[in-house]
Amino acid sequence: MANPVITVTNVTKAVDTRQLLVDVSFSIEEQSLVSLIGPNGAGKSTLIKIILGLDTSYEGKVTIRPHERVQYIPQLSVTDHYQLPLSVHEYLAIGTTPLYSNRTARTANLTRSLEHVGISKEKLRQTYTSLSGGERQRIAIARALLGDPTVLILDEPLAAVDYTSRTGLYELIRHLQQVHHMTVLLVSHDIESVLPLSDRILCLNQTLHTDCHPSAFDPARTQPAIHHHC
Amino acid sequence: MELLTYTFVQYAFLGGIGMALLAGILGPFVVASRQSIASDMFAHVALAGIGGALLLGVSPWWGALPTLLLVSTLLWWLMDSDSYSPDALAMFFLSGGLALALAFVHVARDSTFAFENYLFGSILTLTTTDLIAILVSTLCVVATVWYLWYPLLGATQSPRFLVPFRRTPQLVLLLYFWILAIVVWVGIKTIGGLLIGALLVIPVLAVRTWVFSFKALVFASTTVSVASVATGLGAALYIDLPPSSLIIGCLILIFVLQAIVKHIYAK
Repeated sequence: MANPVITVTNVTKAVDTRQLLVDVSFSIEEQSLVSLIGPNGAGKSTLIKIILGLDTSYEGKVTIRPHERVQYIPQLSVTDHYQLPLSVHEYLAIGTTPLYSNRTARTANLTRSLEHVGISKEKLRQTYTSLSGGERQRIAIARALLGDPTVLILDEPLAAVDYTSRTGLYELIRHLQQVHHMTVLLVSHDIESVLPLSDRILCLNQTLHTDCHPSAFDPARTQPAIHHHC
Repeated sequence: MELLTYTFVQYAFLGGIGMALLAGILGPFVVASRQSIASDMFAHVALAGIGGALLLGVSPWWGALPTLLLVSTLLWWLMDSDSYSPDALAMFFLSGGLALALAFVHVARDSTFAFENYLFGSILTLTTTDLIAILVSTLCVVATVWYLWYPLLGATQSPRFLVPFRRTPQLVLLLYFWILAIVVWVGIKTIGGLLIGALLVIPVLAVRTWVFSFKALVFASTTVSVASVATGLGAALYIDLPPSSLIIGCLILIFVLQAIVKHIYAK
């Protein structure tokens, strides 16, 4: 593979005596959509933290191609009833620009990013917590798009999304990868959903069990191996 | 009305309004970051600074400022390590600060020193220097929050809310702790260390269900805060009760009234 975007080489991580990751190696090529699947506790989130540089206590090597702009979309949390009101505008603009900066330009940017994910600009004034799970996930993607990413890492993007919204979200992710030429790493434990979407499947349970094209993926052969380790 | 012509009353109103602005603006950030107890912790830490200053023979109030900034930095550093829960850290510094304060005051053996002035405020004794310090602090905090509105919003909603690649908003969070320390510092002189938490938190609780954005929340809580301080101070001119008690009383009254209105409105 010529000059991959992300290269993970012999990554091993243990906490006390518990092995979280064992000798994991793979690489992700440009503009591909790779799904990282595995059961709860397989080490998916640990691996993502290592790739993002948030966890540095591991053995092995992770390299990201220079000048790549990585945006991470974390798993949606369940509704927090103590959450203070936050408008969609604020949610999108959070942590980015000082208030004094050009308001018109910022709003135009936010509106454009909302259009990319199929949300109307009228939602900007609504409270974030009043939106459905699917809309929240789209807005999380819109916020990531504000960083003009070349690489998107999504952690369980459908975990808090109702069944009817799932297809639309998958189409959106595929659209971003194909039309906006992004490299996408999708983390999920839902094998059936990600199969038709992915260019490659990485099956993780502490160690990498499968690294293959979706057409070659055999759930019957892989799942016992995964569950055996659970 | 004649009372308003007295300089000490004018100073009390100016200092009180400055404090109310600070608390109203910062309160929503404090509640959002689940750091409500931190204001109380800082107040107790300030007492250690006051005790230390007494021991060194410098102005107690000014002695509290470096202590607050030092401990806020230490708190930020410890929280960044993710090894300790925020409430446990708050209790650690709270009890430690109080113990140190008692020890320092005991060693200093200053018979004229009154701890109550810092625990419950002494807004009617503000000097010109105190007032200038309060107003400068207010301007600095308002300007910083205005300039760094969105970064602060991100850092206090959840420290790792954004997680941009290899860039966390931790420095913004440090700045936030320094701002909170300054607000508490102003608070111990005006409303008192033990009551500053009420001015930060109760206005937010009173308005949070009536607004639809964080910016509206800040405007509404600041309005409630300023109204309570002005009413409480005004009442203190005619009622023989401490201004701090009357200010907190106004806040609680507003909270109860809005809860009743909301209950009726919900029906």
